[in-house]
Amino acid sequence: MADRKAGGGQQPDAKTEASAEAKIERDSFVHTFFKKGAEFTDELLRENDRLRTRLFDLESENAALRTHLASDEAIRELLRKIEFLEREKEQLLSHVRAAERNSSHLFTRYSEVEEELSNLAHLYVASYQLHSTLHLREVLRHLKELLTQLVGSRAHAFYLKNGGELVPVASDGIELSLLPRLAIHAGSRTEEDRGSRDRNGELIERVFMTGVAHIEEGDLTGAPRDEPAACVPMRIDDAVVGVIVIYSVLDQKEQFLPVDYALFKMLGAHAATALTGALLFADANGKFPGLDAITAMTQSVGDDSK
Amino acid sequence: MSAEYTCLVVEDSPMMRQLLVFALSRVKNLRVTEADDGVDGLRKLAAGRFDIILTDINMPIMDGLKLVKRVRSDPMHKDTPVIIITTEGAAEDRKRAIELGANAYITKPIQAPQVIAKVKELLKIVT
Repeated sequence: MADRKAGGGQQPDAKTEASAEAKIERDSFVHTFFKKGAEFTDELLRENDRLRTRLFDLESENAALRTHLASDEAIRELLRKIEFLEREKEQLLSHVRAAERNSSHLFTRYSEVEEELSNLAHLYVASYQLHSTLHLREVLRHLKELLTQLVGSRAHAFYLKNGGELVPVASDGIELSLLPRLAIHAGSRTEEDRGSRDRNGELIERVFMTGVAHIEEGDLTGAPRDEPAACVPMRIDDAVVGVIVIYSVLDQKEQFLPVDYALFKMLGAHAATALTGALLFADANGKFPGLDAITAMTQSVGDDSK
Repeated sequence: MSAEYTCLVVEDSPMMRQLLVFALSRVKNLRVTEADDGVDGLRKLAAGRFDIILTDINMPIMDGLKLVKRVRSDPMHKDTPVIIITTEGAAEDRKRAIELGANAYITKPIQAPQVIAKVKELLKIVT
């Protein structure tokens, strides 16, 4: 019973002590709790401020980006327009280039046609004038004019076959009396023969024998040549009856052009007939054949063709 | 309506004259009159007005250079362009012709397009 008393006597102190401890502990806890709460609140407030600031920054950034985006869109639109215009410009340039090519082609063609027309005019005029008369003097004048004015010859001569010789019958720019008669050799030439004539003579004879024209192809200006610039065989039908010799050309004549070759060809075929016609007309004392003679000749030609 | 131009060709060679007339027929609205030599040329010039003159130099009776001199002293034609067309290709011949008042100097043998171009240039015909 005493133990119980003793025991009973100690119990309130322990309880009080425990209560005090608990109070301390609670106070400590509360203090800590509030302290932590205050700290947390401070933390929250700081975070809130930080977030506000961040939000403001982001909003500003967003606004800037929106402006930028709008500006980018305008630039993109402009770029699209530039691209479109560039394409359009390319197309237009391509059209212009094609038109220029066409124009250039047409201009070239036009020039060619004009040149061709000019050449044909030369041939027409030469042929027209050559056959416009039967008077020997006029025929010779036309031949000389043709060579001087149309071809650009300075000195030339006409050789016609007479028996076994080539005889110079007319000349211009070179004295006729200075031109030798040339004996025609059917076969090969001996050394003695060769030595007796100059290179001009040999060339003229060769052109007569072969019927192939000699026309200087290169530059005609500069140093004097040791042989003629051109030798053209004159034909009647298929027979070569003479040679046109161009010894030298005018200073401004640089080379023979396509029209000159055409004129030489025309002369080769027409000069001898014009000369022969004029000679026959002179033989007939300038009288035209009567109607009876023409009828008889026409009839004779008709009979031959049967 | 296009303006009509008149041209005088003074040339003693019938062949050359025909060729020049043929070439000038390629110039639109150009009417060509022909003269055999310088004297004939002056006669034609006295009878009418010409917009351009083409002349040879070596001609009988009156040569082309004398003609140019006379043309330049003629009040009606003193300003008319003159083209010399000649076989004389030397630089001194060209110089003399230009000094006498020729506007252009073309040497023979001619190329028709060259003559046409010069005539158009002097008549200020734009093509």
